[in-house]
Amino acid sequence: MASLINTFINTLNWPVLLILLPLIGAMICFIWPRSAILTGLITLSAVLCCVAGLTWQLLEHGVYRHPVGGWGAPLGIDLYADGLSLIMLLTTALVGSAISVYSTAYLKPQESTRFWPVWLLLLAALNALFLSADLFNLYVTLELMGLAAVTLTALSATRQAYNGAMRYLLATLLGSLCYLLAIALLYHAYATVDISLLAQRVDSSPVSWAAFGLISAGLALKTALFPLHFWLPPAHSSAPAPVSALLSALVVKASFYILLRVWLEIFAPLGAGAVELFGLLGMLAVVWGSIQALRQTRLKLLIAYSTVAQIGYLFMAFPLASNRPQLWAAVLYLALSHALAKSAMFLSAGNLLKYGGHDRISDLDRVVQRLPLTAAAFALAGVSIMGLPPSGGFISKWLLLEAAITQGRWDLALVMIFGGLLAAAYIFKVLGRTFTQAATTHEARAVPASMEWPALLLALGAIVLGFIAIPMFGLIHIGDAFGLGGVQP
Amino acid sequence: MFFIAFGLLMALAWVRLQAPDVALAEAAIGAGLTGALLLAALSRLNSIEHTTAAPAYPQKSARALQLQSWLAMALLLILNAGLAYSILSLPDTGAGLTPLVTMQLEHSGVKNPVTAVLLNYRGYDTLLEVFVLLLALLSVWSMGTSQQQPEASPGPVLDNLMRLLAPVLILVAAYLLWVGADAPGGAFQAGSVLAAAGVLLLLSGWRLPTRLLDRPLRIVLIAGPAVFIATALATLLSSGRLLQFAPDWAGVLILLIETFATLSIGVTLAALFAGGRPHHPPDRS
Repeated sequence: MASLINTFINTLNWPVLLILLPLIGAMICFIWPRSAILTGLITLSAVLCCVAGLTWQLLEHGVYRHPVGGWGAPLGIDLYADGLSLIMLLTTALVGSAISVYSTAYLKPQESTRFWPVWLLLLAALNALFLSADLFNLYVTLELMGLAAVTLTALSATRQAYNGAMRYLLATLLGSLCYLLAIALLYHAYATVDISLLAQRVDSSPVSWAAFGLISAGLALKTALFPLHFWLPPAHSSAPAPVSALLSALVVKASFYILLRVWLEIFAPLGAGAVELFGLLGMLAVVWGSIQALRQTRLKLLIAYSTVAQIGYLFMAFPLASNRPQLWAAVLYLALSHALAKSAMFLSAGNLLKYGGHDRISDLDRVVQRLPLTAAAFALAGVSIMGLPPSGGFISKWLLLEAAITQGRWDLALVMIFGGLLAAAYIFKVLGRTFTQAATTHEARAVPASMEWPALLLALGAIVLGFIAIPMFGLIHIGDAFGLGGVQP
Repeated sequence: MFFIAFGLLMALAWVRLQAPDVALAEAAIGAGLTGALLLAALSRLNSIEHTTAAPAYPQKSARALQLQSWLAMALLLILNAGLAYSILSLPDTGAGLTPLVTMQLEHSGVKNPVTAVLLNYRGYDTLLEVFVLLLALLSVWSMGTSQQQPEASPGPVLDNLMRLLAPVLILVAAYLLWVGADAPGGAFQAGSVLAAAGVLLLLSGWRLPTRLLDRPLRIVLIAGPAVFIATALATLLSSGRLLQFAPDWAGVLILLIETFATLSIGVTLAALFAGGRPHHPPDRS
């Protein structure tokens, strides 16, 4: 029996199903809008099973490579999965499921029928993106992801949402076009768009520098790295809460993933000047994003600016990790912790919005007594964002801080500590208000359990990451994406 | 208007570069449909501007604006110079993958290398692209409903012209689809010609009967993606590889995928021209 299950798990092609199932789900939602919620939830459960199957497969057999169409690179497209892809897929499935459950209660029925097909297409795009080993294929997934994200931003159909969505559309299209131009240059010079083949062929020439510059600029724009973050706060704060959570937790991470992958595989040997620029912009992002977050009077805008700051940490790690590749695992862990914590925060903000009808921080009214679960979710997510123990945020930020000190990078270390203090300030600014009575009290509207629990579970996940770091780091190192050459950290 | 002219010139440039496939697509989509979409958007904007006041934007002083545009221009010039330098440093003839594409052509099931790349070698990209188009329509539909316009008779001249043109356009689409296996043509080009027929019909006052507006329309819209996915699943089950066509079957499978894709692309593009989602969907709750 056990061997039967084993062969079943090993023969099924989990990654391909991860891409096809959400596409099929989206079509079913489009044809039968009435059963969209049911279809969507079934699809999400299936995706969770597929990720579990893929984890098993990778642990048993190591990296996965699948030549689509049987051609193989450079003629065809390869699908590829290692520890780096696996962690991103896992994050997507977990956060996506929690947000899906949440959205069933949060969205109005009309919004819901429009939400599901687009969200399932977004899910397919994310999965395809994390599984791709081909630069042009990555561009196609970026287009699918960007368009779906813009549509979801405009879901609430208010003027504010349209405004945010339009800015987001223009920014994301510009980013895609930069990326596409870079691929055209690389293809002309090296006659392939497959990442591993490019890694062997790329040399230090003007073309590869131009391509790297264009890819970095395009993806930094999509990842909202300071000073290219201008589109993020309006888009993420005007979207409905589950959508804000999706955008901040997953969509922004996807373009960061491509940048990281491309840097690690192709451009890292070319030169070290770029990492200093990334580090500098990251530092500015942490300071600027945190100060802006502290100045906001609206909860969702505060959380959106906090995303700008936390993305800064991801880029600050570049100068450190290029000297010490083990640190890339900490960067990835930070991205994972931030995805869980930030989605928990946006969902909590959605609860507060439903409960009070507004998200003005100064008018939060006795939240702790009335919505204890939501307040707990926000506080626990805050622990991870601030980088306090025990949490995933703590582990990864601690590793980065330690590296900054041992490498003598006092500038980076100081900004990390300062950013943590500012994060504590803006989170306690919100938490402080949840205990007190507002000047104008109001009747609380009931918030269903299916909205409180997903937020709390996501926040708990961010905390639990603090305890399971060692097995998770084992998963990250499958396939040795960071070029450690068998050296374990 | 300039955009349409630009599309035509681009198409000529592609012909000059000996890329007739791209030229066909550019002529149909860049010069034809995009222009029609832009004009449709313009007419909707006009009707909106009459009803709502313009939002107040913070006005910057003329001096600041001038400074900003000079700064932007300087940055763009630097960027252009850098790009031009790197392009000029490229080798003149990038061989690319052309030799490999030609070598494997006999196993691909078609004789047109462009179709072989799009539907066989890199069919997975096209699978995702088909969903991008569906998503574009979903986006437009999610922004609101289309303006209600009753069916109107356009007058005898236009009416007769349309009766003549529509069948011809459908025939042209079918020809482009069929010829795509051997010569420039294929699903995207055929689909956009089909869409042109739809746009002309919509402009001349023809409307889809209400009973076809909901589920039948939606089924036609996803027919292309659905057949593509079904083929992908079938190949996965039979050969263990996604979208691996046996050489004997490849031609038939590609034609099957392209036929349904043409239908869906044509209807999707025409629906994009019509604007928001159709009125009176029964699923409204």
